Amino acid sequence: MKTLRKLIARWRVQAYLDFMWMTRDFRFFFINIVSDIILNLAGVTAVFLLAERFEGIGLWSRDQIIFMLGYAALVRGLLDMGFSYNVLHISRRIGRGQMDHVLVQPQPVWMGLLTEGFMPFSGSWSLLTGIGIWTWAIFQLDAVFPLYWWLMFFCNLASSCAIVLAFSYAWGSLAFWAPVAAEEISSRAVNFMFQLKSFPLDGLSVYVLASMLTVLPVGFVAWYPCRQLLGIAPASLWHTPLVAMGFSLIAWVLFKKGMQHYEQTGSQRYLGFGHRG
Amino acid sequence: MLTTTHKHFKTIIMVATRSLNDKGWVLVGGSGLRLLRVVFLLSLWRMLLPETGEVSGMTRNAVLTYTLIAEVFAGQISVRTGLDGALWRGDIANRFLRPVGIYGQFIAEMLGTGLPNLILFSLPLFCLAPLLGVDPLPESALAGVLFLCSLILGIAIGAAFDFIFASFMVLLEQHVYALTQIRDAVSVLLSGAIIPLALMPWGIGDVLTFLPFASLASAPLRIYTGTGDPVFLIGLQVFWAVVLWPVAHWLWNANRERLVSHGG
Repeated sequence: MKTLRKLIARWRVQAYLDFMWMTRDFRFFFINIVSDIILNLAGVTAVFLLAERFEGIGLWSRDQIIFMLGYAALVRGLLDMGFSYNVLHISRRIGRGQMDHVLVQPQPVWMGLLTEGFMPFSGSWSLLTGIGIWTWAIFQLDAVFPLYWWLMFFCNLASSCAIVLAFSYAWGSLAFWAPVAAEEISSRAVNFMFQLKSFPLDGLSVYVLASMLTVLPVGFVAWYPCRQLLGIAPASLWHTPLVAMGFSLIAWVLFKKGMQHYEQTGSQRYLGFGHRG
Repeated sequence: MLTTTHKHFKTIIMVATRSLNDKGWVLVGGSGLRLLRVVFLLSLWRMLLPETGEVSGMTRNAVLTYTLIAEVFAGQISVRTGLDGALWRGDIANRFLRPVGIYGQFIAEMLGTGLPNLILFSLPLFCLAPLLGVDPLPESALAGVLFLCSLILGIAIGAAFDFIFASFMVLLEQHVYALTQIRDAVSVLLSGAIIPLALMPWGIGDVLTFLPFASLASAPLRIYTGTGDPVFLIGLQVFWAVVLWPVAHWLWNANRERLVSHGG
């Protein structure tokens, strides 16, 4: 309970800071909103246009595709809102020696990383776009979903976010050993997930599909959980949460190893003003 | 003239070799992503289009070639001079002190930046295309030659776009990142780099064909695959190049004096 209170207090501080930052200049505020909305929409538009043109893609109807695109946009929106300031792109912080900023604070590292990237005002536009697409899809599907389905929907959504985070942290841990070369590796990993998240993977060969559900888990960002949620492929709704747990464990082990290395060597790139050299 | 050409050539080489320094992971990651993107798109087209017959004037094989060539020449189709980065970092100031023109500098840097990817990714992808079940060759030898002319015109139009966008960045005094994101998102979609314009719903492709964005990707790719009239497409590209470069020059000259940079 005490930990939860601390988390909420930190999120509140971040929310206040974000509000002040966002409202300092109306033009800045406006361009930020427009760019976030356009970016999130553009990420799903290509597949939407194809679904509209061909009245669906493979096994997926047009409305089911929109549901998947909404789900994918929600995943991106949640991560944009909750893990900004390079918390999602963790290799930038590690590579630039900025982990010290987290380590000197009187709180556990996990708490810092969980709260520092919260941007409910400037970062929520992408999420709102996702909510819009997804809500539209829900109405288009015209189906009644039981309570269990809703629970599994939110569980799968959180799991998809966790998989992207874990993927970024697993690769980003390389920056502990190669701060310059791997500084941008998390952004590449996240970019990889976000660029391919909207594609229905049904037509891929068995080997490519298997790799998209294992070593490069892009299939779990939207395609796989949506197949389960919409009943296109009846299997367990627990697959995505289980995979999320597996990836989180791998990322945790790698990050922990990296932190141990960092504690011994520090960063040769750290400068007095906290910027990369 | 020869000295200037030599300086630009040296810039191309310097930038091409510099972009390989310490960027091994980025290059491997970027290439992997591009390869998977093209594999995803090819599988998508195979799901959507019938093996024989045409959809909106395009056969499945033409669409597959279109998609593959779009990825092979992705760096040339989505032109980035690096001007936005120079504004962001603040090193634009140094560019004004160099003994070469500002346009030439950025265009030389752009060519240099694209060179490693062209050799290390695009060329292998082109050669391995038959393994992906795609015929990478142009519709005819003439189509190949006209494609190169069209691609060069597309690069010229893309560079003009870059200077126009940069001028607006300076004018609006806005965060480079936000405006670049908007520009990238919009131009990739409207240029036909991902979806051929003819395959877009509601006939919007017919309208987009006339916009300058289509001259970046759709025009050269349609010529390559023999799905568009080369005379019309190249004529349209020449029109946009002639219109956009004076606009870019005027906007840049009018706004560069407003430039205030505090570094990155």
